[in-house]
Amino acid sequence: MEKVTRRTFVETAMKSSILTLRYALPTGTLFLTAAEARERKLPLLKLTAAEGRQLELLGEAIVPGSTACGLLHFVDHQLAASPNEALLIAKYFEVAPPFLAFYAHGLRASAGLAADGGAALEKRDKVGMKALISEMSKPGAMHDGFPISLFYMCLRSDAIDVVYGTPEGFKKLNIPYMQHIMPPEHWDA
Amino acid sequence: MPKILEAVDVVIVGAGAAGSVYAATLAEAGKSVIVLERGAARELTDLYSSQVWARRLKWGGPNVIERGGDSIWNNFNSGHGYGGAAIHHYGVWPRFHEEDFRERSLYGRSLDWPFEYSELRPFYDQVQREVGISGDAKKEVWRPPGEAYPLPPLSVTNHGSVLARGFDALSLRTSPIPIAILSQPYNGRPACLYDGWCDAGCPIGALANPLIVYIPRARTAGAQFRANAAVTRVLTDKAGKRATGVEYFTAAGEQVVQPARVVVLCAFTVENARLLLNSRSGAHPQGLANSSGMVGRYLMSHSAVMVYGMFPDEMQNYLGATGGQLLCQDAFGKTSHNGGGFGSRHWEIALILKPNDLLGVAMSNPSVFGDELHTFMQDGARHMGSMVGVCEDEPLIDNRIELAEETDQHGMRLARVTYKASPSASQLWAEAADEGVKIFKAAGAREAWHGPRGGQHIMGGTILGSDRANSVLNANAQSHDLANLFVGGPSVFATSSAANSTFTVHAVAMKSASFLANNWSAFA
Repeated sequence: MEKVTRRTFVETAMKSSILTLRYALPTGTLFLTAAEARERKLPLLKLTAAEGRQLELLGEAIVPGSTACGLLHFVDHQLAASPNEALLIAKYFEVAPPFLAFYAHGLRASAGLAADGGAALEKRDKVGMKALISEMSKPGAMHDGFPISLFYMCLRSDAIDVVYGTPEGFKKLNIPYMQHIMPPEHWDA
Repeated sequence: MPKILEAVDVVIVGAGAAGSVYAATLAEAGKSVIVLERGAARELTDLYSSQVWARRLKWGGPNVIERGGDSIWNNFNSGHGYGGAAIHHYGVWPRFHEEDFRERSLYGRSLDWPFEYSELRPFYDQVQREVGISGDAKKEVWRPPGEAYPLPPLSVTNHGSVLARGFDALSLRTSPIPIAILSQPYNGRPACLYDGWCDAGCPIGALANPLIVYIPRARTAGAQFRANAAVTRVLTDKAGKRATGVEYFTAAGEQVVQPARVVVLCAFTVENARLLLNSRSGAHPQGLANSSGMVGRYLMSHSAVMVYGMFPDEMQNYLGATGGQLLCQDAFGKTSHNGGGFGSRHWEIALILKPNDLLGVAMSNPSVFGDELHTFMQDGARHMGSMVGVCEDEPLIDNRIELAEETDQHGMRLARVTYKASPSASQLWAEAADEGVKIFKAAGAREAWHGPRGGQHIMGGTILGSDRANSVLNANAQSHDLANLFVGGPSVFATSSAANSTFTVHAVAMKSASFLANNWSAFA
């Protein structure tokens, strides 16, 4: 096996960017970050345009800045992957695959909860969105039999992943993404 | 018709902690060994330092249907691919205590293992020499007898020092955490860099995952590993007296039979039971190795409580090991709890905090969102402390793994898990949650809180026992029903202790594999 040091490995991994998305185009394969994919308005692979708008609205209300970081294209790309390969935290919460069904249902339930509250999701201002997210975030919250609080947890984590789970995100928090601190030669030095 | 391969001495199902120990031990004893792994082939270069990418190391096989009230967090706790769950484990390696093996005899409840600590101790010692554990045996005052650790402890950062203040203030003792991460170079492997990507897999090999210790040894001795091999059944002769091999599907969907003189299941807790139950036949209508009806029974999970706090100090919480820096086992006594629970619990102190993922800063308080979340993240990145309380679960016969009606892509019935934490575990958990917040406040936290119950480690389902009517395996992890069928992994545990399971998984696998190698003529 090829000898790999932490430093050489990290340099290689970092060059490839942590959340690179792969798009097969007629002209070749395109590798973009989630944020770049959104900026180029690349078509969604799984979610509809309407679902995409809803997801961004909810994500932005939960983690401001997540839209620009490419939340939508990150989630959409993962929904196109096999459950085994998908990087969504929904897997940890024992959400049964296919994850697309869970997200589509979650978005419908969120829109339904918004409508029940008297204002469509798309027409809510910042205060209205905050009220909606507060309802969704209540532990154990359900809407028409759907665990909307679980959907909130998953979407919040996805948004955190793209905003803070990358080297750029660590910089925002002024913490190093990768340490190269060598331990002292002697344990009690 | 399935493709039938040439017979080998041993086929091992699962390339995780137990499977790799069996493979190395038996291959080095001169046996021909094939290891079949359901997940992907994986090398050190595949271990990206990212909480997001690390999710690919977790279970990615057929869905497990859970019911019963509490989750065992199967997908989070299980592994998929070479290294299994041990590829993403935190490396916290305390030993089980002497009383963990004799709870029925000593306290009249729970179960006994079919051997005592003293019989397992040589294998703990052997594994720790081979793997390299960092710690301080003298300061770990609760530790059962055993060789001193081969390496001094990892360094403690502000995070550990600040939290230790709280333990000191409440007259609770702490010690360096015993951890399978190298504090100094050892056996050609480099020392830890304290960058805290342990659970994303350690690509330099400072953390003892199977890719760096036992899989290379097994390969050097001639063992062969096959990835993307989904084993569906253990096969037997017509009389059902002997296992004859396993049946599996390749990634391309080809059905293959691997004949073997000995079969060893190390596919982790849920899959071990699922495989045995799915291997039913005319001779074994309840499933293989299940004449007792105990396959799938006594499923256990550690109830875990995460405690968080914001401190005025600069915590350096981004430095260190995922699994923590210090240990406290003052509450390990089985009957010493004010809350009335039976069993052990302990604290793993100063777990590293990344911004994202299940155990990260953001998830510590899921109710925070919007602009407040960014403020919270900035504060948490510098000032948050964390620790986890781990509580013993009592083995209950109704906590079990069964086969569901639904099937996977190969027509194999899915696993259905019925699990509810034992009443004792719930009492211990409540006691720990209360104590943890008090400790953080005593350490000077501005605010302190705890999370909900989490499930850590999955054990039981194919337990060891002296009584074949109430267990699946004997003291050598050998089926009571079929002499050439062995099982490895935490599924063989008869009690859960509160100690993390991986060290004991290694020691028990080493004990059983050594027995098999030393008594080979009885099985060949």
